[in-house]
Amino acid sequence: MRAAAGYVWGDSPLHRTPASAKLAALLALSLAVALAEGPALAAALLVLLALVALSRVGWRRALAPVWGMRWFLLLVVAMNALLLSREGALLELGPLALTPRGLAQGLTVATRVALVAALGALLTATTRPQELVEGVRRLLSPLARLGVPVEPAALAVGVTVQFVPTLLRESRQLIWAQRLRCGDVASRGIMRRAVSYVRLLVPIFVSAFRRADELSAAMEARGYRLSDTPTGPRTREGRRA
Amino acid sequence: MSQVKRIVVAAVCAALGIVLPMAFHAIPNAGAVWLPMHIPVMICGLVAGPVSGAVTGLLAPVLSSLLTGMPATGMLPQMAVELVVYGLVSGALSEHVRTGATSRDLYVSLVGAMLAGRAVRGVASALIFSPGAYTLEAWVTTSFVTSITGIVLQLAVVVPIVVSLERAGLVPPRYPQQ
Repeated sequence: MRAAAGYVWGDSPLHRTPASAKLAALLALSLAVALAEGPALAAALLVLLALVALSRVGWRRALAPVWGMRWFLLLVVAMNALLLSREGALLELGPLALTPRGLAQGLTVATRVALVAALGALLTATTRPQELVEGVRRLLSPLARLGVPVEPAALAVGVTVQFVPTLLRESRQLIWAQRLRCGDVASRGIMRRAVSYVRLLVPIFVSAFRRADELSAAMEARGYRLSDTPTGPRTREGRRA
Repeated sequence: MSQVKRIVVAAVCAALGIVLPMAFHAIPNAGAVWLPMHIPVMICGLVAGPVSGAVTGLLAPVLSSLLTGMPATGMLPQMAVELVVYGLVSGALSEHVRTGATSRDLYVSLVGAMLAGRAVRGVASALIFSPGAYTLEAWVTTSFVTSITGIVLQLAVVVPIVVSLERAGLVPPRYPQQ
């Protein structure tokens, strides 16, 4: 299981930047990276390296998501390099043809994906979940005039980000408990490993919904209210549950 | 179910939509084959309604892409559209389908959502994301051939999980008098 991104304590200039500014910058940079090619992509890479140095979260932590995606990125490069075209092929193997154009295209796509993943990880490493919620709320606040429910949106983002490490820890505990009962599933075939994960789904969901129940009860007990628009499932008589 | 609980359930399901793929990625190519992110989105729609389902369908892929790098940026828009439709349609059908049996209601809603999500993804890919380059064969392959294991998994686990949640008293029962 890959490590989840999380906050890294620090007092760097990036830590002190408001979350809304970092979120807006992430969106702008992601868009720029998606459109960039050649020298512009190299410039984006330099910007990322400068931001990592500025954040002082450590190279290993900042680039962990890219390392986690290494096989996927290699696959992207390989598929583009071998399947894009046959024009000017350096090497041909049946239906596969290694071309400089395909290789360049694969490297461009993989670099874009890696850059966006690293930028996202840098945001979560330098921003506390509460600050992230506040940032989302501020960023979305102009949309409130158009009737967009900003408060529930910010609450949903905040609860999601806060629950990821908790649910990850609980899932790991359930996997360890299963290993103790049934042996190490990782050493078995892919199918048996997958079936062992599927068996864990019911306890994982029950545990997560129990936490949701407790959290919503605690919030309501403390007087947290939103506009009460009924959208849940109806009972047989047509009443909302 | 109160509005606060609906939002918390949507957020917790979105968190599961991030955590489950991380667990399944221990298996090669699991994301495209087992479709672990689809399960919490559909469950959220079935138990908390169309708005919560759509919120989970949007938050799960976007935040997962941000926190773990998966799905990759190029795949994100198509996946988000598909998942939003799953959440929306499973919730809308769950609200309106009343056959008198919980499991039957849930299966009708689930299958309807699975078909609608794939159809909308195909149309969106053909018209918006890959205009001119997306074929019917590609749609059938990605929607029904590569993901057949994920389809079987969803049919096998989603309804039993919802029934387990009802029995545990964590979501309101569809037919309280039974």
